[in-house]
Amino acid sequence: MKNTKSQATVSVLTKALLLWLPLVLVSPSAAFGYADPGTGTFIYQAAYALFLGGAYYLRKLLNRVWGKRRQK
Amino acid sequence: MTAANDVSSEPMLRSFRDPAGTVLRYHNRILRAVNPEGAADLEAFLSTRMAREAMESGSLVRSVRLLPNELPNLEFKTDYVLEHERVPFPNYPYEWPPEMLHAAGALTIGLARRALAEGFGLKDATPYNVLFRGPQPVFVDVLSFERREPLDAAWMAYAQFVRTFLLPLLANRSFGLPLDHILSGHRDGLEPETMYRWAGFWRRLAPQFLELVTLPTWLGRRRKDDASLYHSKPAASSEQAHFIVDGLLKSCERGLAAVAPGKSNADSTWSGYLDRKSIYTPAQLARKEAFVSAALAVAKPQTVLDVGANEGHFSFLAAKGGASVVAIDSDPVVAGSIWRQASRARLNVLPLVADFTRPTPAVGWRNQECASFLERARDGFDMVMMLGVVHHMLVTERIPLGDLLDLAGELTREYVLIEFVAPEDPMFQRIVRGREGLYSHLTNTGFEEAAGSCFDLETSVRIEGLYRWLYLFRRRRAKH
Repeated sequence: MKNTKSQATVSVLTKALLLWLPLVLVSPSAAFGYADPGTGTFIYQAAYALFLGGAYYLRKLLNRVWGKRRQK
Repeated sequence: MTAANDVSSEPMLRSFRDPAGTVLRYHNRILRAVNPEGAADLEAFLSTRMAREAMESGSLVRSVRLLPNELPNLEFKTDYVLEHERVPFPNYPYEWPPEMLHAAGALTIGLARRALAEGFGLKDATPYNVLFRGPQPVFVDVLSFERREPLDAAWMAYAQFVRTFLLPLLANRSFGLPLDHILSGHRDGLEPETMYRWAGFWRRLAPQFLELVTLPTWLGRRRKDDASLYHSKPAASSEQAHFIVDGLLKSCERGLAAVAPGKSNADSTWSGYLDRKSIYTPAQLARKEAFVSAALAVAKPQTVLDVGANEGHFSFLAAKGGASVVAIDSDPVVAGSIWRQASRARLNVLPLVADFTRPTPAVGWRNQECASFLERARDGFDMVMMLGVVHHMLVTERIPLGDLLDLAGELTREYVLIEFVAPEDPMFQRIVRGREGLYSHLTNTGFEEAAGSCFDLETSVRIEGLYRWLYLFRRRRAKH
């Protein structure tokens, strides 16, 4: 029964994709430039960069603290 | 598009997207003319230790600057011209199985990280920067590397990497979408918004989707036309900038690992054919192998095209004999399996997802950027192998036998190795499905007669117990 249900789900998904796919392929691409940085992806990247920038300072701080402790 | 002084009749293809230079093919040589503004950066990049090591290992295309007296008479507007190593059989991302797109992505990020350590960044990250030499990916677009601003903490090509590598692999893995369906229509890959529409509510929250699809879609909804978005704040130090960009590249590596094509779920109609599904007994398979080995020993081909290669059993036989093999099959699962084995065993086999009866067309601007499969393959091989595949083309695609043999003759310079499967064969009967009347005339003698119009028969054998014959033919007018 479980297999039949999951098979049915896969079948519905496949049919949905086959319906949508031609529409997607004929729709104009939203990418603009030679190597378009994207909009949402760029914001996500910037947010991640902010997180990494913070992690960098934290790592430096921790290294300084552990370094002082080792010296003691 | 031809140069004024080029006396060859071969059309010259010039690239045009990169303002720093242009690549052109001239008499089978690949030349890159670099503009003065791009030359300094490129010279500096090629002198780095990382670039030299990558060229030595073959992962970066070998490039040599031509001296002024070595330049062909092509009215270059610059004196900085490189000649690149020529990859034997150019191949394009929409012909790769997922495993190869993944490998190309891993190469791109690997080189980007090593270049970052030497102060260089990648200005674009598209699979068109990579060609495969046998199973090995080679980064060919050396102009993609540029000197970085030390305090720049952004990687502008990140979105392109996501669109052209990660999202197609994710769509292939999650939805079973074949890569050629995605990459043929869209040079620049899949947009996160497109994947978002395809994914259901719960899938949008899955980890890979959340990072690559859902969050970018939500974040991008309100700021689409905001140009000020791309002026990112510089880092406080070059060390911090390096840490951030390297962290971003490492996240791409993790992303690649998460969307890697799985071996366990690779089961298609044709996978495991020789092991589990074929009609050959071990003795019959051994007979076939012996004939193919003997044919390879006679022909000693340097280059082989294996049509309908399946899992590459006979491609590997040819490669072990020293040939450079291009193995095509319309099933990406088996093509991927060939790549895994060829990579592991370091055998010179390039697997491509291509249907011989509907080969990849010429694509791109003016249909000239990416040549069609047939244009690349014409007169390109010392031997063409068509084992256990001709009957599929005759029945499923209804290609006339004479035309099929003609095309094989156009692609080979000398030999064709064909397995003829007669209508009495169980596999033939399985695919013919009630239309047997159409093939009652098809006999091995009829096949030999049809082939006789442009080939000489070198040797043949019937596989005992089966309605299958193997033939080694030679073109009547062999080309060298």
